[in-house]
Amino acid sequence: MHRPSFPSTILAILLAGVLVACGTQTTSPSTGETSGEESAAPSTGASGDAEPTGASEPTGDPIVVGSTLSLTGPLSATGVIHRIAGDLFVERLNEQGGLLGRPVEWVVLDDESDQASVATLYERLISQEEVDLIIGPYATPLIISAMAVAERHGYVMPQHTAVLAPLMTYECQFPAWSIGPEPQVFVPEQLYDALESLDEAPSSIAFVTNQSGSTDFVTHGQPDAEDRDAVTIAEERGLEVVADISYPPGNDDWSAIAAQVRDADPDFIMMNSLGVESVGLIEAMEQLDYQPPMMFSLFPAPGPLLGLGESGEGHLSVSTFEPNEPIIERMGDEVRDIVETFQAQAEGEGLPYTAFETQATGSWTAWEILVEGVEGAGDTADQQAICDHLHENGAETTFHGQLEFDPEVNNFWPSDQTLKQIQDGDWVVVWPEDQAAAELRGP
Amino acid sequence: MIILQAAFSGILVGGLYALMAIGLSLTWGMLKVINLAHFGMILLSAYLTYAIATGLGIDPLLTIVATAPVMFVLAAALQWAFQRFRVSEFNSLLISFGVLIMLVQTISNVWTADFRRLGSDVNPYSSGALSIGPLAFPMPTLLAFVTALALVIALELALERTFAGRAVRAFSEDPPIAAAFGIDHRRIGILLAGVAGVTAALAGMLFAIGGSMTPSTALEWVGLVFAVVILGGIGNVAGTLLAGALVGIVTGLVTVLWSPSAAPLVVFSIVVLALLFRPRGLIPRGGTT
Amino acid sequence: MARRTLLALAVAFAVLAAVPWIREPLGVPVFYLAFGALVFFWVAQATSWNLLSGYTGYFSFGQGAFFGVGVYTSAVLSGRGGMDYFLTIPLAGIVAALLGLAVGGVAFRLRSLRGEIFALLTLAVPFILASFARINTAIDGGQGIVLRIPEFPEFLGGFQDLAYLLSLGVAGLAVGIAYVAQHSRFGWALFAIRDAENVAEGLGVPTFGYKMLAIGLSAALAGMAGSVFALQIGFVTVEGTFNLTVPLFVIVMSVLGGRMHWLGPALGALIIVTLQDRLAAQGFEGYSLIILGAILVSLVLLAPEGLMARLRPRLLPVVAAAGAVYLALAVTGVWGAPLDWFAVALVAAAVVAFWPRRRTVAAARAAALGGIAPVEEVEDEDLTDTAAPEALPTPPAERAIGRPIIEAHDLTRHFGGIRALDGISLTIHEGEVVGLVGPNGSGKTTLVNLLSGALRPTSGDIRIDGRSVLGLPAHRLAHAGAARTYQIPRPFGSMTVRDNVAIAIMFGREAASLATARREARQHLELVGLVRHADALPGEINLHERQLLEIARAIATRPRVLLLDEALAGLNPAEIDNAAGVVRRVHESGIAIVLVEHVLRIVNQLATRVVVLDQGRLLAEGEPADVMRNADVVRAYLGRRAHA
Repeated sequence: MHRPSFPSTILAILLAGVLVACGTQTTSPSTGETSGEESAAPSTGASGDAEPTGASEPTGDPIVVGSTLSLTGPLSATGVIHRIAGDLFVERLNEQGGLLGRPVEWVVLDDESDQASVATLYERLISQEEVDLIIGPYATPLIISAMAVAERHGYVMPQHTAVLAPLMTYECQFPAWSIGPEPQVFVPEQLYDALESLDEAPSSIAFVTNQSGSTDFVTHGQPDAEDRDAVTIAEERGLEVVADISYPPGNDDWSAIAAQVRDADPDFIMMNSLGVESVGLIEAMEQLDYQPPMMFSLFPAPGPLLGLGESGEGHLSVSTFEPNEPIIERMGDEVRDIVETFQAQAEGEGLPYTAFETQATGSWTAWEILVEGVEGAGDTADQQAICDHLHENGAETTFHGQLEFDPEVNNFWPSDQTLKQIQDGDWVVVWPEDQAAAELRGP
Repeated sequence: MIILQAAFSGILVGGLYALMAIGLSLTWGMLKVINLAHFGMILLSAYLTYAIATGLGIDPLLTIVATAPVMFVLAAALQWAFQRFRVSEFNSLLISFGVLIMLVQTISNVWTADFRRLGSDVNPYSSGALSIGPLAFPMPTLLAFVTALALVIALELALERTFAGRAVRAFSEDPPIAAAFGIDHRRIGILLAGVAGVTAALAGMLFAIGGSMTPSTALEWVGLVFAVVILGGIGNVAGTLLAGALVGIVTGLVTVLWSPSAAPLVVFSIVVLALLFRPRGLIPRGGTT
Repeated sequence: MARRTLLALAVAFAVLAAVPWIREPLGVPVFYLAFGALVFFWVAQATSWNLLSGYTGYFSFGQGAFFGVGVYTSAVLSGRGGMDYFLTIPLAGIVAALLGLAVGGVAFRLRSLRGEIFALLTLAVPFILASFARINTAIDGGQGIVLRIPEFPEFLGGFQDLAYLLSLGVAGLAVGIAYVAQHSRFGWALFAIRDAENVAEGLGVPTFGYKMLAIGLSAALAGMAGSVFALQIGFVTVEGTFNLTVPLFVIVMSVLGGRMHWLGPALGALIIVTLQDRLAAQGFEGYSLIILGAILVSLVLLAPEGLMARLRPRLLPVVAAAGAVYLALAVTGVWGAPLDWFAVALVAAAVVAFWPRRRTVAAARAAALGGIAPVEEVEDEDLTDTAAPEALPTPPAERAIGRPIIEAHDLTRHFGGIRALDGISLTIHEGEVVGLVGPNGSGKTTLVNLLSGALRPTSGDIRIDGRSVLGLPAHRLAHAGAARTYQIPRPFGSMTVRDNVAIAIMFGREAASLATARREARQHLELVGLVRHADALPGEINLHERQLLEIARAIATRPRVLLLDEALAGLNPAEIDNAAGVVRRVHESGIAIVLVEHVLRIVNQLATRVVVLDQGRLLAEGEPADVMRNADVVRAYLGRRAHA
C-alpha cells in the first residue's frame, strides 16, 4: 500500500509556501513598500492639503519616518502622548514647507508595550518598509532594543525618554531628554540643593525605590561601581538616611512599606518610582494616619498625583518643561501655540491629563534633532552624514536651546532639567530659581 | 510595633486575596472547573465600579447593586456552557483562559490601558482608617477583610444548612449517588457558579476602592490568588480566608524584615512546600475527612 | 515512511537554512529573516513544551522559568561576564535542564502527584526565580543587562542572518528531537504515561526516568531558545523575562496545532505568530487578543485534538484551499503583500481543516490516534480466533505445586488511622491458583497493590525469589515477575489493542523493538481471544473485551505471578465462563495466579487454594471446599453479603 508520508507532505507544502512568498517578492519588488503605507497607521501629517503658511508647499516624494510606539498595553497611556506630539510636529513641519522641500510622512507601528516585538518591528521598518529615517519608541527597555537595530543598520535614532546614559552606547543615538551623563548625581544634587534652600531644611531622608533600571540607577548608581548616587550624596551632605527600601516593579501592596516609612519618620521621602506607585504609597501612609512632611517622585504619571487633592500638595518631581504661564511668557508665541494645540488635540482624544509637559517635550525635541540633522546633511540617503552633522554642529531646539552632542558621554548634553512641585492643584516649576515659575514651598 | 502593624495590615490585605480566591476555590472544588475567567470578572467589576461611581458620582459601595447581577449572569452563562459542552477540568482552564484574554483586551479597548483609580471626590474610603491605639486598620482592606469574613461565614452556613448547599457538597463528593437522590446537578452548578460570580463582583469593587487598575492587573493576581487557593485547600471556603491571611502576614513581615522584593520568594516557596507535603491544603477540612 | 519523513525534515531544514544566502538574488527583504527568527523562537518554545506536557499529559506552567533561566544565563555570562556568546547557548541549555531536573526530581517523586498539582508547582517556579533575581542584584546589576552583538564569521552575512540561523538551529533541534522521541521507545513510554501512568509503571515502564528525561530535554530546548532570544532583543530585564507570556502562548499554540503530533506545536506557532503579526500590521492590534481568545475557546470546545489530527483525513482540500486563496490574492494583486496572502491562506486552510463534518469512524480514529505511527505491515493471515472457548465446567487444572515465588511476611498497611491490612503473611508458589476472597473493604485490592508494588506497606516484607523487593518501583517488580490487572480496565486509550499489548513487551524484562513487540503481541491476543480486535481502539470494544485486554497486556510482561483483581466483575454468565477459560489457559501456560473474586463458583472451579480476608486480617486459608465450610468464613463473608 502506497501512502505518502503525511508529515513530509505538510513540510513540503510549508516550504513551497515560503518559496512562493519569496518568488512573488522578486516579480513585484515594490509590493513591500506599498503594503507598508497601507498597513501603517496613517499619520495626520501625511495629508498633502495643508495650507501653505508663508513657506512653499512641499513637493516630491515624501520622506518617510518610521517608529513604533506603545499604542496598546501597559505603556500606552504615555505612548499616546508621544503619538499626539509627533502628529502635531509633522503636521506643522509640512505646513512650513516640509523637510528639504519634501513632505514628511510618519509610519507608526504598535509595539504593544512589548520589548520583544520592538526589535522585529524596527527591522521591518528599515528593511521591509524601507523608511528613510527612524525615531525612537517610548520607555527605556524598548528604546534600548530599538537602538540595537538602529546600530546594526547604521541608522540615526533620536529618542525621547531614555535617560540611562551609561547604557545608551550607540554613537548615533541622540537623547531628547538629558539628565546629563550622570543622572544618579544630577538628580540628587539638584534636589538636595533645593531642599537646603528651605528655612527648615530636612535633616533625614528615606529612599523608596522601584527595582527597574532607570529608577534604581538614580538611588543606587551603577552596579559594581563605587560611584556617587542619591544615597551616598545624601550621606555626604549630612542627611541621615533612615530607610532604603526597594520594591519590585508591579508592586501593588503598599501597606507594609508605608508602615516602615512611618516608623522611620523621615523629614523627606525620595521615592524613585514610576507611574502611579507614589499615589499608592501616599494613600497607604494616609491610611496609617501618617503624612510625610515632604516627598519627591522621580518619574510619576503627572495626572493621578494631582487627583490626590490636598494630600498631593507640595509633592516634588522632575521636569523638562511645564506649561506655566511665566515660562510660556518667557519662551514666546510659538511655544504657546504648541502647548495650546496639543492640549486641544489631547482633550479631543479623551486623555485624562492633557498638559504638554516633560513627555511631550521629549517627543518634540527628538523630532527637532532629526530635522536638524537631515537639513544639515542635505539628504536622507547618508545616515552617517546626518550623524556626523549632529556631532559637529549640535541641534537648535525650541525647548532646550542649542544642544551639543559629545559621543564621549553617549551624546547626553548638559541637563537643564528642573524640579516641579504641586502647588494649588497644578504642577509648577520651582527650581532652579532662574527657571522657576514660582517659589519652592516647604512642608 | 512596626512588626505588629505590618502583620495586621498584612492580614487585612490577605482578606482581599481571599475574596478573590473564594469564587475560584468554590468552582474548582465543587464543580471541577478551573475558572481563569474569574480574574477577568474581578477586573471587569473593578472597572464597572470605577465607571459607575465616577459617572454618577455615587459611593462606590453602591455599585454592587449593578455589578453583582451582571457577574452572576456572566458566571452562570459560562458554567452553562461548560456543562453544555461537558468540558473536562483541564479544558475548562484553557477555555476560561481564552475568555480571560478576551475580557482583558475588551476592557483595554473600552477604558484604554491607562491607570484608572477612583478619585478622592467619589471615594471616601481611600485614605480612611480605623485606629486602635497605635495600630491603624486601613479602610479599603478592612472592608475587604470584613466582607471576606462575612462571605465565608455565609457560604459555610449555606453549604451546611441549606438544601442547595448540601446538594452541592454531595455532588462534589459523589456525583452518581447525588444524582440518584434526584439532585439536578446542572442547576445547582449554575447557581454555584453564579454565586462565585457575585464574589468576583465584591472583590472587584473592593479592589477598586483600594487600588489603581490597568487591564494587565488581572494577570498579576493569578500567581498570588492561586497560592491562596492551594494553601487554603481547593474547595475549602474557610481555609481560603485563613490562607489569605497567612499570605498577607508573610508578605507584610518579609517586606518589613527583609525586602518587598523577597516576598514572592517566601510566599511561593511556602506554596511549593505545601504542595509537596500538604497537597490538600494547609488547613485540614473540618469534619469531612 | 519514517525515513521519508526524516528526509523531508532534513530537506526543509536545509532549504530554510539556505535562505540567508539566496535571499538577495530572490529579493527577499531582511525583514523576512526577523519574522522567521520570531516564528522559529516560538516553534522551539512550543515544541519543547509539548515534549513534556503534550506527550506525558503533565501540563507545565514552568516554560517561562526554563526560558527565563536560558535568557539570564546568556545575558549574565556574555553581557556581564564577557564570555563568548556562542559558548553560552549550550550552557543556557544545561542550566535550564538542571532546573528542569530539579523541578522534576522533586515533583515526580511525589507518589500522589496529580496533574493539577504539577501544573501549580511549575506555576510557582517563575515567581520564585524572578524574586530571587531581584533580591540578588549581583546577578543582573539591578538595571537589566545589555547583550552586545558577538563577533561572527563574515560569510554568515549580517546580524539578522546570524539570528535567523541560530533560531532556526534551535527550532530544528527541537522539532527533530520531538520527531525522534515520538518514533522511539521514549515516545511510547511518554504516551503510555499520558494514557495511564500507573498501569504503564506496572507493565514495566520506568516512568520516573522517562519523565525526568522529558522534562530535562524540554527545559534544555527552552533554555537554548531563550539564549538566542536574549541576543535578539539585546536588553534583558527581570520583568521582561519572567512573565506569563511564554507559558500561556505555548499552550495556545500547542492546542491549536495538536498535542499528539511532533509537528503540531510548530504548526500552531507558525499560524499564531503570522496571524498576530499581520493583525498588528493591519491596525487590528486592539483585537488580536480577542481573536486569539476566541480561537482557543472554539478549538477546545469543537476540536480539542488540534489541527494535525484534522489535517490527516482532509489534507487535499486543505492544501487546495490554501493554495487557491494564496494564488488568487497573488495574481489579482488587489491587496496586501506576500506575508498577508500567506496569513490569509493559513486561515483558509485552518477553516477548511476544522470545518465541522459528521465524524466518521475513520476521523474519530485519526483523532484519537493522533500522531502515533500506524501499524505498517502486520501479517494477519486470518482474523478468526484459533482458540475456541472451552466447555465448562472442568475440574481445576492439575499442575504440580512448585517453589515459592512471592513471599509476603507480616504485611501491614495503614491509610490515615485505618488499618487496611493487618499482619498478612502469604506465599504464592509456582503452579498455584490462589483464590483471594473476602467482603468489600476486607483489604483484597490493597494486598494486590502491595504485591504489585503500586503501594508500599507500612511494615512487613515482600520477597520475590527470596530477594526483598520492598521499596522497589513497580516496574522493577514487573520485571521480577509480578503482573496485575485492574478491576476497572485501564487501557491506553490512544493506542490500538495490539499496541496496548506491545507496550508491555517493549518494556518487558528484555527490551524489544516496536516491530518485534507488535509481532509477539499476537500470541497473547490469541490466548485471550482478541485477535480480531487487534486494530481496534479500546474505546471500540466492550467491557468484557477490555477485561480480556487487561489480561493479555499483563501476561505480555511474561509474569510468573499474575494478580487478577476482579477480572470478572460486571460480566454476564456466558462472559464469565469465557473469562474463566482464559484464566485456565493462562494458568496452563505456566503462570501462577492470584484470583481476587466475588463469584465463588469460579473460585471453587479454578483455585487450588483459597485465602479469606476479613477486615484486613487473614481469616482462613486452605482447600476451597474446606474453607467454604469454615464457620467463621460463612459468618463473616456470606452473613454480611446476605445483609447487603
